[in-house]
Amino acid sequence: MSSVPYTQRVAKPNGWWGMVVFVATEATLFGTLIGSYYDLRFKTPRWPPTGVPDPKLAMPLILLGVLVSTSVPVQLASVFARAGRTGATQLSLLVALVVQSGYLAMQIHLYVDDLHRFSPQQSAYASIYFTLVGAHHAHVLVGVLLEAWLLLRLFGGNTAYRAVGVQGAAFYWHAVNALAVAVTLVQLSPSL
Amino acid sequence: MRSRTERLELIWHERPGLLGWLTTVDHKRIGLLYFFTTLVFFGAGGVEALLIRTQLAGPNGTVLSPEAFDQVMTMHGVTMIFLFIIPMTTGAFGNYLLPLMIGARDMAFPRLNALSYWLFLGSGVFLYAGLLMRKGPDCGWFCYTPLNTKEYDPGLNADFYALGLIFNSMSTTAGALNFIVTIFKLRAPGMSFNRMPLFVFAMLAVSFSLIFALPPLTTDLVFLELQRKVGFHFFDVVHGGDALLWQHLFWLFGHPEVYIIILPAMGIATSIIPTFAKRKMVAFPLVALAELLVAFIGFGVWGHHMFATGLSIGTLVFFAAASMMVVIPSTIQIYAWLFTVNLGRPEFRAPLLFIGGFIALFVIGGLSGIMFAAIPFDQATTDTYFVVAHFHFIIFGAAVFPILGGMYYWFPKVTGHMYHERSAQASFWVTFVGTLLTFFPMHIVGLLGMTRRVYTYHAGFGWDAYNLSETIGAFILAAGLLMIFANLLWSRFRGPPSGPDPFFGGTLEWTTASPPPPYNFPVIPTVTSPYPNWDRAQGELVLDLDHGHETPATTVRDGHLDEILKMPSESGWPIVLALAVTVLFIMLLTAHFVVAGIFAGVAGCVLVAWHVHEPAEA
Repeated sequence: MSSVPYTQRVAKPNGWWGMVVFVATEATLFGTLIGSYYDLRFKTPRWPPTGVPDPKLAMPLILLGVLVSTSVPVQLASVFARAGRTGATQLSLLVALVVQSGYLAMQIHLYVDDLHRFSPQQSAYASIYFTLVGAHHAHVLVGVLLEAWLLLRLFGGNTAYRAVGVQGAAFYWHAVNALAVAVTLVQLSPSL
Repeated sequence: MRSRTERLELIWHERPGLLGWLTTVDHKRIGLLYFFTTLVFFGAGGVEALLIRTQLAGPNGTVLSPEAFDQVMTMHGVTMIFLFIIPMTTGAFGNYLLPLMIGARDMAFPRLNALSYWLFLGSGVFLYAGLLMRKGPDCGWFCYTPLNTKEYDPGLNADFYALGLIFNSMSTTAGALNFIVTIFKLRAPGMSFNRMPLFVFAMLAVSFSLIFALPPLTTDLVFLELQRKVGFHFFDVVHGGDALLWQHLFWLFGHPEVYIIILPAMGIATSIIPTFAKRKMVAFPLVALAELLVAFIGFGVWGHHMFATGLSIGTLVFFAAASMMVVIPSTIQIYAWLFTVNLGRPEFRAPLLFIGGFIALFVIGGLSGIMFAAIPFDQATTDTYFVVAHFHFIIFGAAVFPILGGMYYWFPKVTGHMYHERSAQASFWVTFVGTLLTFFPMHIVGLLGMTRRVYTYHAGFGWDAYNLSETIGAFILAAGLLMIFANLLWSRFRGPPSGPDPFFGGTLEWTTASPPPPYNFPVIPTVTSPYPNWDRAQGELVLDLDHGHETPATTVRDGHLDEILKMPSESGWPIVLALAVTVLFIMLLTAHFVVAGIFAGVAGCVLVAWHVHEPAEA
């Protein structure tokens, strides 16, 4: 028998730390995408180039607000999971999931719409525009899948392992939302 | 009633045979897999080097066609950096030694650890498949645009390069993440940050560098593939692109990469020197800070690779100044090593000889390196063999010599046998002379105007004798390396038993048996200083954890015992996931994007299956 008393954990769990480091590397990826956007912008006299419409402001900003607000249910889910309240965790996750899926569907619609109006093969502006925005949507999609997976797992009951999973996913979503602000502002910058 | 070690043996043993190796999550076995795989790649990169040197031995060489030379030269660089040094230092040395040095029973994420090995193997095979099909990467290891565009590189060559390196980065990122969490959370009780071995500090610095340096490379390569495969425009000026964007992103990765290569070597030096000087490292906290500082400054100096590209004067001066700053943490370490040897009672056995060689070669390479911070000098010598001389002193002399010394130093720990000391010392001198003879004349031939990457040259420039001596040196160097591996191979079977601690080293790996049992330590050690084996202090708690697949976790800064983690056991999912990802990259290479999407889905399903079996604690 190990003779050490095991009490409540003080430090953050390994899974949370793993997510923090993963987010750090992802955020750097977005940093380099945004850096490349401005590198190309300052090498180009007209931005966006002639024939490409300026980005519209209203819809993306509203969607951004909706997405950022999901940090609240996601954080609640994390708190509930640690408190062992499985039902409340699932409900919070579900609320977040519905809003985020709606956001993603609407954004994909806008993305396809943009593709009809100008092509990424046309100019460097269009290339970096679709790459940056597409990377952000992929980021959201990963978050949605992660949440859906945790939601399903919680039907089998809450465990310490799953609570850490929810905690990690919550951190991931806060990072997605912070990056959403950055990406959207860069995306809209020609019209701001 | 079974004894404690019998119980631990039962809990921690893995399947025997081949299947055991395919599903292993034991950090030591994964470390050995990394070790032997990287050695194979080292051999391939070495043969490529000898081919290059044979081609260039005299003027108008005909051993390789220009196309073959380009591919061999590019794969030599790519192999040595991405398939040898990084996986050797982090994957093999880091994996095997780090948990032992911090008193843990495994890495924080054992299955992720297995995954990073299998992904690494997949990416290496992927890159070499290109070379074997005579479509290997052929644009140099930094593959500048426009040479890398479809126009000038119409085959699959640059696609093998770009996709292979994205693939490789996934493996390296997973490994770095695992090291950071392991170092933060799994240190033995009592090992606060200031009691961490310097090797662990170096691995922490390397891991953070990788986490922040690989994304720019990935972005760059994704841009390149989007441009080559789908017709996007990032680098072509006609459509508003920027050719220099490639170089900025590449070197934003590429310079931290240099320190990623050199830092583990510094960590190995700071392990070997105290053992053979028989005293603690001089200026321990300064050396730890210097290791972290080298990694940090590495992110602010990428522009010095671009002094000849027409950046503005202000930009050039900033990067020149930042580059000179690197001298400070490097010099702190050099003096700390020298004073530790000087103030101790040094015993010049083979590992310490290699570290001596490392310091000499690092000083030469560092002095030629600091010359490049002087902008006019850099502009005059850009793309000449002077640069090739400089970075081989750093990458071969300073990074590989400690690896070789480290192989001798930890050989008894890994195998339980002693290497042959006399022939080990002889192998050092052969390797050292070979290195100087190969790389030193490159300085001269570079100043005489020979440019890098040329597949041949005409007689009459005064280059011939230097080139011949480089080729002779390369074969002496190869002979030295073969002596090392022959020694280790012979000692593995014929060497006398070494016992757990043949050198009386200070760190925790020397407190357990050689080779270490699957559970590393029968009793989790309690740590009171950076050299716990020299304290022989008995802690008050006895932590044997012999009733489950467990290792302790401690608090991040102070190393207080925090919880007992249940660790996952062997798993087949990592290798299956790596296979799915390999197929995904093959499909991307051949532009079957729908099939690639399907395999991304398969990879997702494998991840789900992986997580169905949960360890009791995260």
